[in-house]
Amino acid sequence: MSRRLVIFSILALAMVVAPTVTSLPSGISGVKDTGCNCHGTDTSDSVIASISGLPESYNASVTYAVTVSFTGGPGSEGNANIGGFNLWASDGSFATVDSSTQLTGPSEATHTVEGNDQSSWIIEWTAPDSGKDVDFVLHTNSVNGNEGDSGSSGDMWNKAEATVLGFGPPPPPPVDPFKVLATLILVSSVLLSIVVLYVFYRNNPDGFEWEKFAPWITEWLTSTDHKKIGTLYFVQGLFFLGVGGIMAMMIRVQLSSPGNDFISQDYYNQFFTLHGTTMIFLAAMPLIAGFANWIVPLQIGAPDLAFPRLNALSFWLQPVSALLIFTGVFSGAGADTGWTGYAPYVVTETAHAGVSMWAAGQLMLVASSTLTGINFLTTIAVMRAPGMGWFQMPLFTWSILVANLMLFLSIPAFGVGLIQVYLDRTIGTGFYDVSAGGDPLLWSHLFWYFGHPEVYVVVVPAFGVISEVVATSARRSIFGYKSMVYAMAGIGIVAFIVYGHHMFTSGMSPTLRFVTMLTTMLVAVPTGIKVFNWLKTMHGGSLVYRTHTLWTLGFLVTFTLGGISGMFFPSMGMDVHLHETYFVVAHFHYVLVGGTVFGFFAAIYYWYPKMTGRMLDERLGVLHFLTGFISYNALFWPMHRLGVVGMIRRTHTYYITTDDFQALPEWAADWNMMISISAFLFFASNLILVANMIKSLVRGEKAPADPWGGWSFEWMTSSPPPTPSFDPHDIPTLKNANEHVANEPGKIGKWFQRLMVADDTVEEGSH
Amino acid sequence: MAGVTPLYDALWEDYILWSLFVGAITFGWLYHHTFYYRSDDGESPNVDDLKVGVFPKDYDNLRLEVTWTVLPFILIVWLTYISWAPLDAVWSQTGPDGYHGSECMEGESSNNYVDEGGYVRSDCYHVMSIDAQQWFWEFDCMELAGDLCSTDFATVEGETKPLLNLKAGETYLATLTSQDVTHAPKFTNFGMMEDVIPGVETNLWLPATEEISFLMLCAEFCGDNHAYMTAQVTVNG
Repeated sequence: MSRRLVIFSILALAMVVAPTVTSLPSGISGVKDTGCNCHGTDTSDSVIASISGLPESYNASVTYAVTVSFTGGPGSEGNANIGGFNLWASDGSFATVDSSTQLTGPSEATHTVEGNDQSSWIIEWTAPDSGKDVDFVLHTNSVNGNEGDSGSSGDMWNKAEATVLGFGPPPPPPVDPFKVLATLILVSSVLLSIVVLYVFYRNNPDGFEWEKFAPWITEWLTSTDHKKIGTLYFVQGLFFLGVGGIMAMMIRVQLSSPGNDFISQDYYNQFFTLHGTTMIFLAAMPLIAGFANWIVPLQIGAPDLAFPRLNALSFWLQPVSALLIFTGVFSGAGADTGWTGYAPYVVTETAHAGVSMWAAGQLMLVASSTLTGINFLTTIAVMRAPGMGWFQMPLFTWSILVANLMLFLSIPAFGVGLIQVYLDRTIGTGFYDVSAGGDPLLWSHLFWYFGHPEVYVVVVPAFGVISEVVATSARRSIFGYKSMVYAMAGIGIVAFIVYGHHMFTSGMSPTLRFVTMLTTMLVAVPTGIKVFNWLKTMHGGSLVYRTHTLWTLGFLVTFTLGGISGMFFPSMGMDVHLHETYFVVAHFHYVLVGGTVFGFFAAIYYWYPKMTGRMLDERLGVLHFLTGFISYNALFWPMHRLGVVGMIRRTHTYYITTDDFQALPEWAADWNMMISISAFLFFASNLILVANMIKSLVRGEKAPADPWGGWSFEWMTSSPPPTPSFDPHDIPTLKNANEHVANEPGKIGKWFQRLMVADDTVEEGSH
Repeated sequence: MAGVTPLYDALWEDYILWSLFVGAITFGWLYHHTFYYRSDDGESPNVDDLKVGVFPKDYDNLRLEVTWTVLPFILIVWLTYISWAPLDAVWSQTGPDGYHGSECMEGESSNNYVDEGGYVRSDCYHVMSIDAQQWFWEFDCMELAGDLCSTDFATVEGETKPLLNLKAGETYLATLTSQDVTHAPKFTNFGMMEDVIPGVETNLWLPATEEISFLMLCAEFCGDNHAYMTAQVTVNG
């Protein structure tokens, strides 16, 4: 047995070692001290061989004309033959230029019979691109021309060597950022699948059976229950929040120092485009939809939404559209137009092919949002519980109503623009082609008519969340309920008449500039009312600082700062300097991240117990808040100043002042580095939230029906609520602590209700 | 603190002052309540007697709500008002009613100066044009004399870029055109920029008040080399 082992090991070793043996370049026969001989037997110092025409160091793949020659020896004019050569190179390849030479291998050349009568030959050598040094060995033979048996007697030969330097170790192949991104996305999908399987296992650890997996996953894939769909939206939103975050980090690494070349312009442009599109459409909107789906029917006492199957369609349109949008990425030619996709660049050929996919995917999202709008508007209009008039709805529901109304009215314009872009790019229509009579400004109008209400669509639900959390944390009624509603409605209306402020520098007429300036400034009034109302709600309360309360306070700080910085733009004299700079980036990240995202972090900590039946860990929550809030401010606050000194957005790099010209000050480079580091810290801090959520699912404390002492209907249901959420034949009636309540709708209310419901009975909702 | 142009700085300072004022009220209020209304013992008494399934009692104060509707409204009207004149200055109309008069005659100088309000005023202006393409700028001094305006090339960060030479004390009106997609010349030290859209001719005032040399950038995303579409602008004495 051990003998077999020894023999086997020797054989194995031999198999490993053998291929590493290489032959000597000089061959293995006729070897003498001075190397091998060609024809003659003796070397002679009187023969001098030389190689010329070689560079000192070569450039990759360049062709050089090499001359090999010899002097001396018996070969001379008048002999029958004069001489010959053999040239060998360790790398690269030879090519003949005339019939005097021939190749005996890719990098070995010798003379032909015709070439026997020369003492110098020219041959072409093409350098490799390996970068390694290349050795040449030349043997030349000086022939005395006596033919016959001893034809090679009296010939003398010698050899010459030369080395051509390479350019160092070959550069490592550039990393394809898309391969990295694709790998990251695939890895996350695998991890997600593992999590899904684990969740399935935890559902019933003792009764784990594979046969139960198919029905379980099918239930999730085909459900029309608003709670399951809400969870699906939620998971999608969090997943793409991570993907968008990864893209942001790629952007920040590139910008961490001026003149950096971490990724090329091409990829950088695609990354910032996808960062914007992903964060707004695939992260923020689904997170909002997730909470809306979960909470709104619970809050109004409805068993489900008005159109449950339409709801499922709205959701499933989203991940499929994500595939379309990202197809451009995987093809290496993703959209590179900025999420705003300005014309005419978006329809030119210099913009990547992925733009068409990007437009198509977003069209699906337009469809998804429009259907969601129909669903929620109907649900809120007709399925409210008895006792819940319009002015008895919880503020989160109001915020979803206003947001969906805005979305529903604005997103079709975006859809129209996208269809035009798609047609321009695919069948050659001329909507945005100037030479065909198209107008690029049309896109700007269509896009911003949608785009501005869109940003309010994403922030107004956060307002709703804050209202709920502040009131419950302070154990008070929200201050000024009616004015909160009017303020949200006011924001919703004004949102449609301010979109011109994105186009101040596009050659607007002075009158319109002034009007837009005024209306944009006016948006601050209803928003300010809301902020002051929230602060007044805290008055007289007794607040315990749980994580949802902390995030709400954080929101009040960052959203207010973002709102104040937003006031600088409508002042035209400043906008002309601040437009397209990092001041804009700072402002919108303060309101979008500091507003929407922080609002939804608060919502997660507030409603997670209701949705999953488990409490989140408060200590991890506080850690998440502290690390997130601090790193977030370190990340975005410095961008204000960078914008004022002139750092432009959407650029691959930036310039620092030199002796010849003024540009950004010296400290801009250091600040950018600090921002980049903070970006990584902020990303890492959010992993604490994910860990908290998973940990709670597995072994969190069981949650009661009403852990925080809220008043709205969702706190009446169990945690998690049953399906259907309320018994359709036993909807609870909302009581009212105030005596004088106008439950009867007024004239407009009656007219509206007559539009909605066919029957006389006002109370009946649809099923 | 901003250090851009006097017009910008004046606005900026006013806005910062009002921002600090609003911020002090808001954040002062927030911090006060955060600490003053904090629960001492971790208990959270039901101040407004909230009960599940009962719409809570009204908590409002009409006077306060009207106050913090009307006062911010007045502030905003004021901020809009102080922004109006700068709007007219930045996008000044041509002719005697504007800030820069009419086009200069041969040999006439703009003699621009900054008035007490921070606005640049000139006797007249010179016309030039800027054409944008992916991914470089083309300056055209048109009929202007060599000392007023000239174009050249400069090496910026090892690359050759267009160079525009202007004269201090002169005001220029640039007509902007684009050959392909939208661009935007941004003259950071003049505090000026305007989009250039293909098929549309836009205009931009370039008041060169002092000697300086700065980098001009493209400020509207235009494709791959957007970041590298720079030019050097030198204002000579």
